[in-house]
Amino acid sequence: MEIHKYEKIWLAGALLLIVGFIATVSYGAVGAGIEMVNDEGGQVDPASLEEHPKFGEPGTYQTGENEYDVYVIAQQFSFQPGTQQPIRVPAHSTVTFHVTSADVIHGFEVVGTNANTMAIPGQVATITVEVDEPTEYGLLCNEYCGSAHHAMEGRLEVVPQSEWNESMAVN
Amino acid sequence: MSAESEAEAGDIVSPSESGSEGDGPPIAEPESVDDEGYVIGSGGSGIVRRIDHDDFDPVGTLVLIAIYMAIVGVMWVFMYFVEFLGGDLSVIG
Repeated sequence: MEIHKYEKIWLAGALLLIVGFIATVSYGAVGAGIEMVNDEGGQVDPASLEEHPKFGEPGTYQTGENEYDVYVIAQQFSFQPGTQQPIRVPAHSTVTFHVTSADVIHGFEVVGTNANTMAIPGQVATITVEVDEPTEYGLLCNEYCGSAHHAMEGRLEVVPQSEWNESMAVN
Repeated sequence: MSAESEAEAGDIVSPSESGSEGDGPPIAEPESVDDEGYVIGSGGSGIVRRIDHDDFDPVGTLVLIAIYMAIVGVMWVFMYFVEFLGGDLSVIG
């Protein structure tokens, strides 16, 4: 089959784009260390979260020096914690969010950032992020979850190290 | 008066009478018009000019595709390296 010389040029260009896309995503995973959300968080019984050792009392737990776990329950139509009272973590720390749902599928998105996961009943999603300077982020549900989905939101406060105190952590 | 107006209805106007003068569109040679086996909706099959395969030279299309690819490439680099990798709270575990 005879292929026109211009067609060869744009076929090669299209292949180069595809190779470039795959190469950049591979770089993100290997070089920049971007992780996907997986099933490492394990499973829980959504009907008895109050009996769970951590989800029974959701909030921020200190697990090491500058390392914190935050357990969050998403439910119609709030994050607990997050909506009634903000999630608080200290600045310049590594934070792992453990997110699950007590009823239907929700989303857990720290607005304007890359921290974003689904909250699935029975499944715990874990995402680890590094927070820097003190600031305040919004939280929102990005999976339609019912009549008041649009009002399901919350806050994440990154508190200065100097203002951080034990009462902000559950343990 | 032009040659066309002199021709009676139904006459074939030959290029020698009208094609060389006036601003109207050129009229094909009657011999080159293939009106046998003509399928409605298809173009006429009269060959006007025969060129080799690579003599077809759609340089405008080539430039347009080059511009599209450049835009896609720049947008990809911006979206991935600036907006995504440069964003806050990247998931690292």
